[in-house]
Amino acid sequence: MGDAVRSGEKVVSVQNVFKEFRRDQNSIPVLRGINVELDACEYLALMGPSGSGKTTLLNLIAGLDRPTSGNVIVCGQNLGQTSEGDLARWRSRHIGFIFQLYNLIPVLTAYENVELPLTLTPLNRRERDEHVKAALQVVGLADRMDHYPRQLSGGQEQRVSIARAIATDPTLIVADEPTGDLDAKSASEILDLMQRLNTEFEKTIVMVTHDPAAAARARRTLHLEKGVLVNDVSSAR
Amino acid sequence: MIPLKYNVRNLRVRWVTTLMTVIGTGLVVWASVLSFGLTDGLEHALRITGHDLDLIVLRKGSTDETSSGIEQKTASEIAALDGIARDANGQPLCSVEFVTNLTKPRRGDGGTTNLIIRGLEPVGRSLRPDFKIVQGRDVRPGLNEVITSERMAQRFQNLAIGEKLEINQVNFEVVGYFESAGSAAESEVWSDTRDLTNARRTPGAVSSVNLRARDADARDALIKRITDDKQFQLSVIRETAYFEEQMSASLAIKVIGYVIAAFLTFGAMFAAANTMYAAVASRSREIGTLRALGFPQSSILMSFLLESVLLCLMGGLLGCLATLPFNGLSTGTANWATFSEVTFSFRFGPNVLAQGVLMALIMGMLGGIFPAVRAVRLNIIKALREQ
Repeated sequence: MGDAVRSGEKVVSVQNVFKEFRRDQNSIPVLRGINVELDACEYLALMGPSGSGKTTLLNLIAGLDRPTSGNVIVCGQNLGQTSEGDLARWRSRHIGFIFQLYNLIPVLTAYENVELPLTLTPLNRRERDEHVKAALQVVGLADRMDHYPRQLSGGQEQRVSIARAIATDPTLIVADEPTGDLDAKSASEILDLMQRLNTEFEKTIVMVTHDPAAAARARRTLHLEKGVLVNDVSSAR
Repeated sequence: MIPLKYNVRNLRVRWVTTLMTVIGTGLVVWASVLSFGLTDGLEHALRITGHDLDLIVLRKGSTDETSSGIEQKTASEIAALDGIARDANGQPLCSVEFVTNLTKPRRGDGGTTNLIIRGLEPVGRSLRPDFKIVQGRDVRPGLNEVITSERMAQRFQNLAIGEKLEINQVNFEVVGYFESAGSAAESEVWSDTRDLTNARRTPGAVSSVNLRARDADARDALIKRITDDKQFQLSVIRETAYFEEQMSASLAIKVIGYVIAAFLTFGAMFAAANTMYAAVASRSREIGTLRALGFPQSSILMSFLLESVLLCLMGGLLGCLATLPFNGLSTGTANWATFSEVTFSFRFGPNVLAQGVLMALIMGMLGGIFPAVRAVRLNIIKALREQ
């Protein structure tokens, strides 16, 4: 389970990070000298045009990728120097994922999808059951726990995905375009829910979005262009 | 560990490809287990015939009873040797027997094959495992009668109860069927020694002496006594060794069976691999998600390997079950030692079925390993972008 962090503690520290992708013989720079620090209980939106590097930065912070140079230190772990196996273990303990296309496992029920990351923890069946039910309660889908993803609407699927992200009580929640595939009403409900996770449950959130309305819900917004951080705005919310 | 229900439900969701693979694997296992059951049945027939204390006395130089000839006087001397076990009535368990080969037509296909006709005294029945008359009655001396097994009656013309078998223009009536624990004796036709030798116009002829030693020491002493006697000019073979040598037919079937099974397994392995490659390709995003959530590469590998094994095991079990209606079914093959037909039943015991399940397991493991490795090697970020 995620280690508890207090408000104001440093959760993310991105130090002079460069990231390049190789295509054939060519090197394509995606991030150029990014520096970002994020405290516990912050709610950060990453914005920018397509190809600006925001999803790449999110993947680095989530431990799904490694920087070409520089350091990405999240929850005290320097991710660039961590082995693949240790990174997987680290992600299961510290990161909750919310994907644009929900990424629920279609053959598992809502309950089983939420339980999935908990099977990587030392919790026993009864404890897992408590966590799953609590998470589904938070997202308002306790009555749909036996439904398969195909039996849920897009908004409901994303709520199950959020329940899965919070079930292990992770230090950091990363969301990649969480409302990108939803209608306006469902998108608003999801943003309400994420805001509640931040304010009520004090979850640290990093969200990639194209949508200014979604970014407006965050406490802080970073703008990237061509792999460079061009703006860092904190709201007074 | 990724929960097993993830794999089970995925197999159910892709039920068409699952069914096709299960049927393919099942057919391979079915065909292979049939051949294993065939070999096992033949080996059982020959193996059960041999008793550890039983000896077969033949003319020196002969390798089987049909080519052996012993003088009646010598046979009587052997029967009087010390060390031979006795029955409840104190009679020595020593049977002086005459064995001959006749070419007779099979039922159905109209072909002919050699048939072993054995003339023996009542004591000879005690030397065969669990001999019993199951239909009709035993032969009565002097009436030119024969008995055989029911499966021989099914395979040869003129061997059903009431029918007449011609031996050198003498008609022998079939009066009963016997069983002998599925042993090689069930591949023979039995008559009274005197009736048979008379019909063959070799009165008093003896092919072999079959006897049971009192114990292992007596057996070894009898072997030495008979072999060392220069006047006898005989050889003694332990019955177990005698029938072991006759397993050459089984060995050929076994080798062919295993070679075919290996080729079929190889083919089925590709079918399983193909199914699993398709599964990996269509579930890339799920694999990426599982990896992102923190499932290690070993869990992904095990999960897909397990799914492949599960798929093939279903086929394997189906294939094994489909062989059961053939259990006990009679068939026959040439015994190259006696140039006659040996009949036996398919046997699908635990060992044979376990071989079938093992084959399925190997198919699943080998067929699943490469797709599972591909699943493990997927780049998480690319996999998450898959539709």
